[in-house]
Amino acid sequence: MSAALPRVLLRAVTTLCASLLVLALVLPVGTLVTTAGPMGVLGALAEREVQQSLLITIAGATIATLLAVAGGTPLAYVLARSTFRGRALVEALLELPLVIPHPVIGMALLLAMGRNSALGTALAPVGLSIVNSPLGIVVAMLVVSAPLYILGAREAIARVDARLESVARTLGDDRWTAVRRVTLPMARNGLVNSATAMWARATSEFGAIVLVAYHPRVASVLAYDRYVTYGLPAALPVAAALVCVALAVLALVRMARRAERA
Amino acid sequence: MIRVTLLEARVPGFALQAASFTVPAGGVAVVTGPTGAGKTTLLETIAGVRPLIGGTITLGERDVTRLPPEARGVGLVYQAAWLFPHLPVRGNIAYGARSDAVVRELLKVLDLDPLIGKPVETLSGGERQLVAIARALARQPRTLLLDEPFAAMDSALRDSIRSTVLAWAIAHDVTTMLVTHDVTEAALANGVQLRVEKGVVTVTH
Repeated sequence: MSAALPRVLLRAVTTLCASLLVLALVLPVGTLVTTAGPMGVLGALAEREVQQSLLITIAGATIATLLAVAGGTPLAYVLARSTFRGRALVEALLELPLVIPHPVIGMALLLAMGRNSALGTALAPVGLSIVNSPLGIVVAMLVVSAPLYILGAREAIARVDARLESVARTLGDDRWTAVRRVTLPMARNGLVNSATAMWARATSEFGAIVLVAYHPRVASVLAYDRYVTYGLPAALPVAAALVCVALAVLALVRMARRAERA
Repeated sequence: MIRVTLLEARVPGFALQAASFTVPAGGVAVVTGPTGAGKTTLLETIAGVRPLIGGTITLGERDVTRLPPEARGVGLVYQAAWLFPHLPVRGNIAYGARSDAVVRELLKVLDLDPLIGKPVETLSGGERQLVAIARALARQPRTLLLDEPFAAMDSALRDSIRSTVLAWAIAHDVTTMLVTHDVTEAALANGVQLRVEKGVVTVTH
């Protein structure tokens, strides 16, 4: 009995902690959605401005994610398979956007790519600017959330033993073909999960975007704008609509993957 | 023919030192030595999946030292089989096959038909090795490098498959290197026996 008691206590404490954590995660968002109510959410979704901001948010996050997958997968492969001088520095630089405040990233983007920067000046003649433009939204989303994809993809690729690629190469594949036929299919679940996490993070981005591209307003900026201009009641439906749309997209992705595995 | 001259390779904490030997065309060389001595490194370096730091490798009449693995015409079978887990048995065997006919022939010769649709994770260790051997042979390599490929098979199956594989190699004029701890297999060498210890390769016969 004396041995059983600590186990019961441990289980009770663990259950309590887990329950509190779930409550902390769900309660604020749940309260937000229920306070706005179904009619509030539907009313917000019927507004043209809200529709446009959701469209910009989803399209921007999707483009940023596709860019990260295209450029980040080879980078993740190199980080997973190679040892080279400076690798720790490269990895630290990639993780940096995850640990510094996102408004700071927004400031850095303005300095590096804003109208008065060398890059901004070079892009201006061809009509490209990151300031208050969809391009700026995509760039901000990419910079703050791509590390989630790259680091996740690195882990997914590292879990595939390199000897499988070696065997594929003795069976006639060049390096790229071996990666395409063996490594990527085997790492697929991890790659999709990482891309989904990145997309979700990009849709919720605010701190960098609000500095770089206040207009056109993404959903997070629109909710903030209504909050500071008209107060919480006006911002609630927009915020709740963003939560519902993001939840619906994530649920769809998971359902599609479950159906694929079945 | 396999001709290795002053071959050197390095893996973390270990170096293969100036290995030189020749295995005649169509011959079988048996490689023995304690665990961790460098036998697998030797085979991987010949296959080209591990970079060398010195020496030359000639397979047949070609100097393959600078060629990538896919251009060497080498079949490599590991003790751990390393089957592709996302493919079924037939997909593994057909992965690099030169033709569908050779796949069908190997399925028959190695009696693999009962396994054909199975996911590889359901196979026993011996079955996995059998599929790995078939996968390598389906590529119709000129050089076959076998790293304890029969170790997980029961003795009856091991004798049968060993005979079948070596008969296939002889019939197709394939030069073979076989790493083994099995004294029965060690006696199979027709001309060349190699001993590897602490990265040093010695021709013992």
